[in-house]
Amino acid sequence: MKTLKPMNQKADLLDDAIAQGQAEDVFLMSSVVGCTTTTDPGWEVDAFGGVSGLCQPMEADLYGCTDPCWWPAQTADSLNTHPKWTAGADAAEQDWRKLQAVFPES
Amino acid sequence: MKKTHALLPAALLAALGGLAGGTDAHAATYLLTAARPNQLVLVNATERKVERTYPIPGDGIPSVVALSPDSCIAYVLTNRWESVSGIDLDTGKEVFRADMSEPGLRVKTMFAMTVSADGKELYVHQIPTRLKATEYQVEPTRIAVYDTAAGLGARPKKTFPAPRSIVQLLPARDGGRVYALGRELFAFDTHTGQLAETLPLQSWKQPNLSAPDVLAVWPQWEQSGVFATPYYAARTDLPADSPEAFRTGLLTLDLKTGAMKATDFEPTAVVIFSSVINPVKHDEAFSVYTQLSKIDLAGGRVAKRIDLEHTYYSINMSADGKEVYVGGALGDIAVYSSDTLEKLATIPLPGGVNMSTASMRVVQR
Repeated sequence: MKTLKPMNQKADLLDDAIAQGQAEDVFLMSSVVGCTTTTDPGWEVDAFGGVSGLCQPMEADLYGCTDPCWWPAQTADSLNTHPKWTAGADAAEQDWRKLQAVFPES
Repeated sequence: MKKTHALLPAALLAALGGLAGGTDAHAATYLLTAARPNQLVLVNATERKVERTYPIPGDGIPSVVALSPDSCIAYVLTNRWESVSGIDLDTGKEVFRADMSEPGLRVKTMFAMTVSADGKELYVHQIPTRLKATEYQVEPTRIAVYDTAAGLGARPKKTFPAPRSIVQLLPARDGGRVYALGRELFAFDTHTGQLAETLPLQSWKQPNLSAPDVLAVWPQWEQSGVFATPYYAARTDLPADSPEAFRTGLLTLDLKTGAMKATDFEPTAVVIFSSVINPVKHDEAFSVYTQLSKIDLAGGRVAKRIDLEHTYYSINMSADGKEVYVGGALGDIAVYSSDTLEKLATIPLPGGVNMSTASMRVVQR
C-alpha cells in the first residue's frame, strides 16, 4: 500500500485497518489449477499457460461458471442480479445462441 | 421397503427392492442427479436409461443432492441456492422445504449441505447477507440444523457459528460430528455445535510443500464411506518451471474413523474436479474432468488415464466396483469399465438438459 494513496473515506478506513492489523488476510496460493476455492485464472488460459486444461468444449463449463457466480465477469451472475439469464436454454451446447449480453440496470 | 410405491413402475420397485442392504452385487445401480431447469433425474445405470424425472417446485437452478440414509428422500439445493427442497423419491412429492432467505436477509449456501447418519437432521452451511438501503452487510456464516421431519416451511432448530468458505459438509458415521471442509477441515460436535477439532489444510506443515489448493464441491462418498477430493500443491524446494514443481494428490476423509490422509500421486498433469473411492477396493480411486483417471492410492500413482469425449464434473461407481459413471456439466452420463476404462455406454438426459454443478449420488436401498 506504500505506493497507493487513499482517495475517499472508505479507502482511508481500509488504510487505517491495515495499519492497525485489523484487515482480513488475503494471500495468493502457490498453485492454482482450474476452478478452485481460492482464485481462478479465468477462461483465457489454464494453469499450464495453454487451453487444453480448460473445459472441453467451452459449453460444458458455461453453466458451471454462471450457476455458482464463479466467473461473473465472463458470464452473468445468475445467483443474484440476472437469475433468468439461462431460462429456456437448458442445454448449453444447443442453446448458447439464446444467451444474451447483460448490462447494469439503470 | 416400508413405504408405498404407487407411482413407481413395477420394474423400478423390483430393482430398488433388490438394493436393500446394498450388498447385492447383481442389483441394478440407480443414480440420482439434478438438471435444468429444476428437476431431479433418476437413472438406471445398469439398463442405461433414465428411469424418472422429478420436478422441483419453485425456481432453479439445482445443485447439491443429499440422500436420506434409506434413499427415500432426496434433498436438493435450489432456488438460486437459497432453498432446500426434499423430494420423496417414491411419490415424487415435496415433503421438506426450507426457504432460507427472508425479507431484507439473503441467505445462500455454496454447496455445503448433508444429512446426518441417522437421517434425522439436515446440516446446511449458510451465508447470510443483510440487504440494507445503501449497502450489503455481511453477516457471520453458520451451520443451520434442520429437523428432516419439519416438513414444508422448515425453520432451523438451531444454528452454530462456522467459518466462511465452507464448500462441503460431511456426516461422521457415528453421528457425533459433522465435518466442514474449507480452508481447513473443521469437525463440529453436532450436539453442542462446538468446534471439536481442526485438521490442517492451508496451515499444514508438509516438508518442501506449499499450502494445498483444494476443490471440494462434489460429494460422492455414500458407498465407500470415504470422502475424496483432489488437492494441488507446489514444491517449495524446486524452481517454478521444473516439471516436478506442482503436485497433485488426493485428500481422503474416512467418515467412520475421522482419519484424513493426503496421498500425492503425480506431478500435476491434468485438471481433476471430482473423485470417488472404489466401494469394494478402498485403495483405488477414480477422478474426472476432461480425463478419466484410475488412481492407485497404495502405490501413489496413476494406474491408467484416458481422454474423455467432453468434460464431466462428477463421478460415481456401481456397488460392485465394476463400472464408473461420469456426469455433471453437460447433458449425458457416460459409463466406463473400472478395469480397462473402456467406454461402455452413454445415457443421454431428456432434451440434453445440463447437470452443471449437480451432484451424482447412488441410490442405496
